[in-house]
Amino acid sequence: MAENNNVLVIGAGLAGIEASLLLSNAGRKVYLVERNSYFGGTVIKSEEVFPNMECATCMIAPKQSQLLEDKNIELLTLTDVTDVQGDVGDFTVKLASRARYVSLVNCIGCGACFEPCPVSVDNEFEEGLMKRKAIFLACAGALPNAPAIDMDCCLRAKGEDCTACKDACMFDAISFEEKDEEKEIKVGAIIVATGYQLGDVSRFPEYGYGKIENVFHAFEFERLRASNGPTEGAIKTRDGREPKSIGLIHCVGRDAGGYCSQVCCMYLTKFACYAFDKVEGVEVHEFFQELSTPGKAGQKFLDEAKEKGVKLVRARGVELSGNGEGVRITYQDGKTGKDTVDVDMVVLAPCIEPNSGADALAKLLGIEPGDFGFFKTTEFDPVATKRAGIFVAGCNEGPKSMQDVVVQAEAAVAAVLNGSKADTAVRRQDPAQD
Amino acid sequence: MADKFEPNIVGFLCNWCSYAAADLAGSNKLEVPATLTTIRVMCSSRVDPVMLLSAYLRGADGVLVAGCHPGDCHYQTGNYLARRRFALMHKILETFGLDSNRFRLSWISASEGKRFSEVTNEFAEHITKLGPNPLRKMPFIE
Amino acid sequence: MAKIGLYLCECGPNIADAIDLDRVAAEIEKDGKVAGIERHKLFCSADGKKFLAESIKKNGFERFVIAACSPKQHEGTFAEVASDVGLNPQMFQLVNIREQCAWTVPDKEQATGKALRFIRAAVTRVQYHQALEQKEIDCNPDVFVIGGGIAGIEVALRTAHKGRKVFLAEKGELGGMLKERGLLFPAMEPAGDFLGPRIDALRNNPQIELFENCKVKEVLGFFGSFVALLETQEGKEIELKAGSVVLATGAQAFNPKELAEYGYGKLDGVYTADEIEKRGVGKLLTESAKPVKSVAVIHCVGRDKLGYCSKMCCVNSMKIARQIREQSAETEVVELYRDLCLPGKGYDRFYKETEAKGVKFARFESVEVTGGDSGLTVKYKQPGGTGAELAVDMVVLSTGLAANPSNPELADMLSISVDESGFFVEEHAVLNPVSTMTEGVFIAGCARGPGDTRDTIVQASATAGKVLSSLVPGKRLQLETRTSEVSEKLCVGCGTCVTVCAYGATTLDESRHIAVVNEVLCRGCGNCASACPSGAAKHRHFTTRQLNQEVTEILK
Repeated sequence: MAENNNVLVIGAGLAGIEASLLLSNAGRKVYLVERNSYFGGTVIKSEEVFPNMECATCMIAPKQSQLLEDKNIELLTLTDVTDVQGDVGDFTVKLASRARYVSLVNCIGCGACFEPCPVSVDNEFEEGLMKRKAIFLACAGALPNAPAIDMDCCLRAKGEDCTACKDACMFDAISFEEKDEEKEIKVGAIIVATGYQLGDVSRFPEYGYGKIENVFHAFEFERLRASNGPTEGAIKTRDGREPKSIGLIHCVGRDAGGYCSQVCCMYLTKFACYAFDKVEGVEVHEFFQELSTPGKAGQKFLDEAKEKGVKLVRARGVELSGNGEGVRITYQDGKTGKDTVDVDMVVLAPCIEPNSGADALAKLLGIEPGDFGFFKTTEFDPVATKRAGIFVAGCNEGPKSMQDVVVQAEAAVAAVLNGSKADTAVRRQDPAQD
Repeated sequence: MADKFEPNIVGFLCNWCSYAAADLAGSNKLEVPATLTTIRVMCSSRVDPVMLLSAYLRGADGVLVAGCHPGDCHYQTGNYLARRRFALMHKILETFGLDSNRFRLSWISASEGKRFSEVTNEFAEHITKLGPNPLRKMPFIE
Repeated sequence: MAKIGLYLCECGPNIADAIDLDRVAAEIEKDGKVAGIERHKLFCSADGKKFLAESIKKNGFERFVIAACSPKQHEGTFAEVASDVGLNPQMFQLVNIREQCAWTVPDKEQATGKALRFIRAAVTRVQYHQALEQKEIDCNPDVFVIGGGIAGIEVALRTAHKGRKVFLAEKGELGGMLKERGLLFPAMEPAGDFLGPRIDALRNNPQIELFENCKVKEVLGFFGSFVALLETQEGKEIELKAGSVVLATGAQAFNPKELAEYGYGKLDGVYTADEIEKRGVGKLLTESAKPVKSVAVIHCVGRDKLGYCSKMCCVNSMKIARQIREQSAETEVVELYRDLCLPGKGYDRFYKETEAKGVKFARFESVEVTGGDSGLTVKYKQPGGTGAELAVDMVVLSTGLAANPSNPELADMLSISVDESGFFVEEHAVLNPVSTMTEGVFIAGCARGPGDTRDTIVQASATAGKVLSSLVPGKRLQLETRTSEVSEKLCVGCGTCVTVCAYGATTLDESRHIAVVNEVLCRGCGNCASACPSGAAKHRHFTTRQLNQEVTEILK
């Protein structure tokens, strides 16, 4: 039987985009499956990326446009993989696409449908820092440039005959009759690039997240700084004040989790730079356990932040408590004992976890979940899973920087394109180990 | 003067950052001056001082060049080169008897739709205050 | 004059409500520059595209202007329509009267005026558009790898394939830094067991040609067709042809001799981590052949001097410490560290296991090693400033990784750069981490920065991914159309365009004394066109003439 050259890429974040574009360039047909209504993953939540403090949108948007124009790549949003059968070179994959209720062909992205929608719920993409309608675009500039209807909160799901959005649409793009769809595709190889999520910080009562008003987690702070976010880039406390001082807490959940998330030291330092850029005269304190800035660019980046005035404090046993509108940080400094610092807002760096659903997906794909729920790969072939033809890339394999995500995506492409032949020639018989 | 002065402003926008920001301003329905007409170039480094001078000689009341933030250039160093090329622009304008503030170089990233709106409105307001380009009346044009 | 059609897109109410399209049509018609004007509710729809194509054909328009949305949205869509009706895809101009006019100017009168300026500029500009040809060239899919360490080996194994040869040049022997390693962490398997089969596979692969003990003298050419010149030890020259070049030159351990505080090279019993591994971490003996009872492992040796954290040394020294403990439970091992760098999912556990084997850890701020008759003394300052002292038989210096000193020479040869530490600089730190500013030249492993074995292997694979996806045997390379060109007549050969090009696409043709643009490398930024003092450099589709026409029309 002839080997099928098509490739399924699961997850359209940084890794999935990079892998799809390279595969297409090599002449492969790619099915790029994304469970959200938009693509771009977590990168598009950031305003800037370290170490060069580049604008994340400027960096990723050209790649997104290129992908949308690429005829070899079929991007399937709101879609999950429900079944995988077969073997390397001949997989049969079942996909389930949820209805968007908005036609990607007809919709021109004018946004006329948002305003009339009477529903208002928390916008998950904005970490609940602003509201959205039942028909919504995750954020300004999200791609594909067409909204989706969230039937969980649409009035129609409650039996009301609301047609506000449909009435407003001049392009006949909205259809309440659209049904969820199933589809079967044949591919020869699969790249799993389902990304990460931040660990739930409310598990750790010492940080008071959810109880103390001005304790934020990392994604919330990213959205505060985002030009297209809830405050249009102004760093503000929940009660709308400009903070005079900010505390950044490293390693939240590291001890409990049992691993270092690799990028928090760097991105908290980036947060410090955000603060210095946006808030004049702000004081920034970073509370860290071990400073980990591996690689050629790390130390320099940290030194620059130090020059801007970030105060680095080695601390164990950090506890937060409410202090009027602000937050009191209590910690052990390892020298003189307990100490406290009062700040207007605190940002927590939670551990990086595999995205929700990773376990179920691993089962479905017949690959092993490994340590801490990250996908298991061969020790010295960090994209290969135990199942031939299925490769992993990005933060679902372990926490890593954007740079390393891209590197791994490109490595997964190599594995698909050379069928791992060169590699199997030298791989020993032992199973995937970690 | 019977009519309120309406300036004519030309904006050169780099394809990857500032042009995208101008589009985003549109998607977000943010106001951009009617008096600004934009020209798309691939990189801010494509715009050269002679091109700008010819715009002033043709009567432009203001010229804006907007590109990616330093360090963000899609072509690595184009915006740095643009910055160098325009370093002398203010001086040159003065030699021509023009207010040097009729020229502006701004860095506006693809996500800064709001900033695009702010920068252009502020610039247009400023140009309106400066009044018409005195070269408009010069006989040697054309 | 060419026959020009103007198409006004209503975009539903988006444009039609905000701009008075009737007035636009009337005024443009009055200008007399277009041969016909048509409107449609939505040109990007299937129906709209059909209407557009039929109209162009029916009216025999040779060029057209379409006033609609942003070119970022639909330039590709309408270029396709142009091609479908037999026009060159450059023969139209999309005017953005939606995002940059209808949606941003609330006053309809003003918006209409602005739209008119936009459209008039485009109608004038499009007359000066020139047909551009989509060029394709043959490419050589073969790969030239420089460096025979694990990075180079992996690249070779992962790219050698039917239809693609790999040439690997190594100035010494194969194996690189891993030759010196004992075990590999965290799996604790012998490095030789890992490296051996790979070197065998390399030697047995008919698609791979090895050039050991060979120096790279010169690399000429560009993406898709490089020519490299090698020199053997005997002085013989070998010429190779390849489509891409991979730099896998590795790194080297920092030499602690230049730092007096460690007493390295002066005091007996002070070794680098590599030396200990080379001796074998078996039964450790002092210089006087007595069993070693106590060892201090000092971290971050050279870090301040190097200016970065080398990432692999913390875990590597833990590996050595636990091996010592495994060999002899009586031997005390203390690791003196500044910050523990344990990034990723596996290393915290490795650290805890090491601690469980009885290895002690102590944080220091500064350290000094002195010698005496009875052994070595390690004096260190603890956090908070109090001093402490350890008397030990042996000191192991956990050294960082320094760049390969041959990098600058190779960088010069390939027109790429090295950073202040001597590592090759990537094209983009985040998005193109294994590519360089010279297309077709890639970097993998410690040549691009310090890292561990696993990092090196993923980067080598990534490089393979880039090579395999860009140079496919039998597939021709499609070139960028809107590139720059230099007019032979106008060029004075000053070389200004050569200095401003970030991609090395412009070079001086010494024989003709003019600059030439390599269209394979040109990315079409147009920078050279504005830098050129004689007007010889031209940016296709963004020519000075085209842009000036736009400016003139806007200012009329």
